Amino acid sequence: MTELIQALIFGVLTGSVYALMATGLTLTFGVMKIVNLAQGAFLILAAYLCYTLWARLGIDPLLGSLIVTVPLGALGVLVYRLIIERVQRVDHGLTIVVTFAIALVAEAVIALVWGPDPVTATPAYFNRAFHLGSVSVPAAQLYACLLAVAITVLLQAGLRRTWLGHAITAAAENPDGARLVGVEPKKIGTWIFAIATATTAFGGAALSFLYQFTPDSQDIWIGLTLSVVIVGGLGSITGAFAAGVLLGLAESVTSTYVSVRWAAAVPTILILLVLLIRPQGLFTLAARQDAAA
Amino acid sequence: MRPAGTAVTSHATTIRRAVIAVAVVALAVFPLVSNDLYYQAMLILTFLLAIGATGWNIMGGYAGYISLGNSVFVGLGAYTTGILAAKQNISPFLGCLAGGLVCALAAAVLSLVTRRSRGMYFTIVTFAALQLLAIVATIWSGLTGGSQGLALPLPAWSLSYEDWPFYYSLLGLLVLSVAVSAGVRRSKLGLGLFAIQDDEGKAAGLGLAVSVYKLIAFVLGGTFFGVAGGIYAYYVTFLNVSAVFDIVTSMLIVLAALLGGRGTLWGPVLGAFIIEPLANLTSTSLGGADAGAVRLLLFGGLLGGVVLFLPRGVLPTWHAWRRKDHDHPERTVVPPAADASPGAPAAEGTSRGTRSRDGAVLTVRGLAKAFGGVRAVDGVDLDVAPASVTGLMGPNGSVKTTLFNLIDGTVRASGGRIALAGRRVERSGRPARSHGGLARTYQLPRLFPSLTVLENVVLAERRLTLSRLFLPRVTAAERPRALAVLADLGLSGCADASPAMLSYGQRKLIELAQVLWLDPALVLLDEPAAGISPALSERLAGIIRRLRTDGTGVLLVEHDVAFLASLCDRVYVMADGRIIACGTVREVSADPAVVDAYLGDQVALATADQAASRVESAS
Repeated sequence: MTELIQALIFGVLTGSVYALMATGLTLTFGVMKIVNLAQGAFLILAAYLCYTLWARLGIDPLLGSLIVTVPLGALGVLVYRLIIERVQRVDHGLTIVVTFAIALVAEAVIALVWGPDPVTATPAYFNRAFHLGSVSVPAAQLYACLLAVAITVLLQAGLRRTWLGHAITAAAENPDGARLVGVEPKKIGTWIFAIATATTAFGGAALSFLYQFTPDSQDIWIGLTLSVVIVGGLGSITGAFAAGVLLGLAESVTSTYVSVRWAAAVPTILILLVLLIRPQGLFTLAARQDAAA
Repeated sequence: MRPAGTAVTSHATTIRRAVIAVAVVALAVFPLVSNDLYYQAMLILTFLLAIGATGWNIMGGYAGYISLGNSVFVGLGAYTTGILAAKQNISPFLGCLAGGLVCALAAAVLSLVTRRSRGMYFTIVTFAALQLLAIVATIWSGLTGGSQGLALPLPAWSLSYEDWPFYYSLLGLLVLSVAVSAGVRRSKLGLGLFAIQDDEGKAAGLGLAVSVYKLIAFVLGGTFFGVAGGIYAYYVTFLNVSAVFDIVTSMLIVLAALLGGRGTLWGPVLGAFIIEPLANLTSTSLGGADAGAVRLLLFGGLLGGVVLFLPRGVLPTWHAWRRKDHDHPERTVVPPAADASPGAPAAEGTSRGTRSRDGAVLTVRGLAKAFGGVRAVDGVDLDVAPASVTGLMGPNGSVKTTLFNLIDGTVRASGGRIALAGRRVERSGRPARSHGGLARTYQLPRLFPSLTVLENVVLAERRLTLSRLFLPRVTAAERPRALAVLADLGLSGCADASPAMLSYGQRKLIELAQVLWLDPALVLLDEPAAGISPALSERLAGIIRRLRTDGTGVLLVEHDVAFLASLCDRVYVMADGRIIACGTVREVSADPAVVDAYLGDQVALATADQAASRVESAS
């Protein structure tokens, strides 16, 4: 019983972090129908930046993530304006190929700058845990989970309350209608990419002290975040949160009761199952698809 | 993409054939005249990549479904062959066939994903499948050797044969896969795949069993690459998971196909012959700890560059440049269509047999559709009798088009029944409903720009038979019939043109020709007369009358009340997702509920009234 409770707690904590890591992908995927395969590499880049701030200047990754949002947001704008927006105009189907190319280039650049060896940040709370009876809650996981909840709530409020949020939602639901009322897709696209990659800083911060990472581990993280987005359904931040937790639980239960090695296969198995059985995601309602046709 | 207008100067064809023949002969004699193993090895890997890219192209270039996980097939092929050789002592040259079979199965399963989702989901699935198989291969170490790797028996032949068996079997496989790819392009299968790339929903509506097309396309490409992977396994004699299931291999495949020209026959081969030597060069000239990262940077950058600056690839760009240079006559404007009098008797081939005229051809009962919380269609009952024209009118937003989408299966209904000639179809897919006798046109005509007008017409498929897929794009029997249909519509001059070069009205007529080709029992026409000239509109009315005479039931959405009144036996009026009135045009325009629905739209009703009385006084 304790084992199960432990697995569940661990699953929820990890899952919320997964959702946090997938936020950027959720935004670009949902609103712009662009699968940004470079998101995994951006995540690793953010983790390396947080790690460097911590290792060189002693800045806590949770705090450092605020600084890292700036270069990452700028990177998002550049990538969108210089590459994705152009490709999208010629052939939308090729955007996924070009983001794949960006992922490989980013991985290479990260490897050239930081080298291939695995690193991880070890702030003071790194190995600490809170104990509730026989159940233990690791402090680092808990802080990361709180960060994830905070960011999700903030983003959700931003989408509901601000003009930009409304414009983004409008553009997601009906691009042509949005254009008619003066929502310029290129401008919205720039904002979305800026926000999407900037929030990656928080996911990267959590990653930097929760996991060991190498440049080529971007491959694992893009698979995992894709899984969150697909299970959660297109573009739904709350859906992604639920999916992240589900994925975290599934992994945690798999590693407790099956084997740790099979836990690594859980995200991709979920992707395949969901796309085979319920491609619209587990947490979305059917939406009207023919409006634009 | 294939240019519309098949006439390519025979001169260019001769040159191209000569170049290909010389290249094949040169590759065939190369190992005999040179014993340079470095170049033999490079060519072996080039053949492998060319087979991979050619196979990828059938799905990615023809059907437009991009896979980022095609190294799955080389991995599966290699491991199947390796395991059979290491554990069962089966010759890799036999084992690789089993590898191909395993890949065919895997491709068939993966292609199932495209039944319910499109485009990028397929890309994601291939990407995920590659990751999953790499993980499974690592975990299942009893079978695959896991991270230790798997060693195959060494080749037993005399050293004086060098790598010839690998070289020639891969060269042969490459020639075979290019031949298959060429065959696909020329067949109905290829025609359907290009149509799927242009507009998959429309293709399904014309009766094409699109999931079968995609399945065959993906299986063909995967199988060849799987067999090649088996030979590759024997060649390297040692397999480890990270090298065999490497995403970089997938990347090189996509890069080769895009660079050479996606959707062309020779582009992927050309791309492979550029990329693999380059890869070989970098792996020999780069050293040190950073070599891997530099290669990744180079090829990732190259892929990005190709997508950004050469999205069509070398071959199509070159062809476009040459065409501009020579200004082929076939690119000039389509000759004006010869006029055919409306209502003229149908050309011989198009006349249809007599149909049963009893019972409704379409019965809709209690049809409902909710989008989220909105009940868009709310309990619609509707009948269309054979040999009749039934109108459907209603203010904008009264979901007439949605009703069409429900009837033809574009959108699944949330409740209610739909029967075509007595057979329930509300759970069938679009191709099945099309085979059941249903055909439709769209508010804005949807034609396939990468096919010629003639190919657009003959694309429609009345039933799926496997043998049909291997017929030429336009068979000798179909050609005169299709030309007759076009002549009948006054479009004889356009048979070999691209639909993109035609006027809006002409495109509408061609969409009608696609419908006529299906010889349907029920036709749904969505605003056929909107935005076309009075002359074309007259011709259209003639065609609709003839459909009725031939026993077809027609359901017609139209805002032009005079047009409706002149054609329809009865009309249904919709508002807010319900049928609010039914009867002759004159009856419904007197109905207060209808007046209410069109509130303030008195002009339209006055016109309707006048039109109706004009029709009556004329008869």
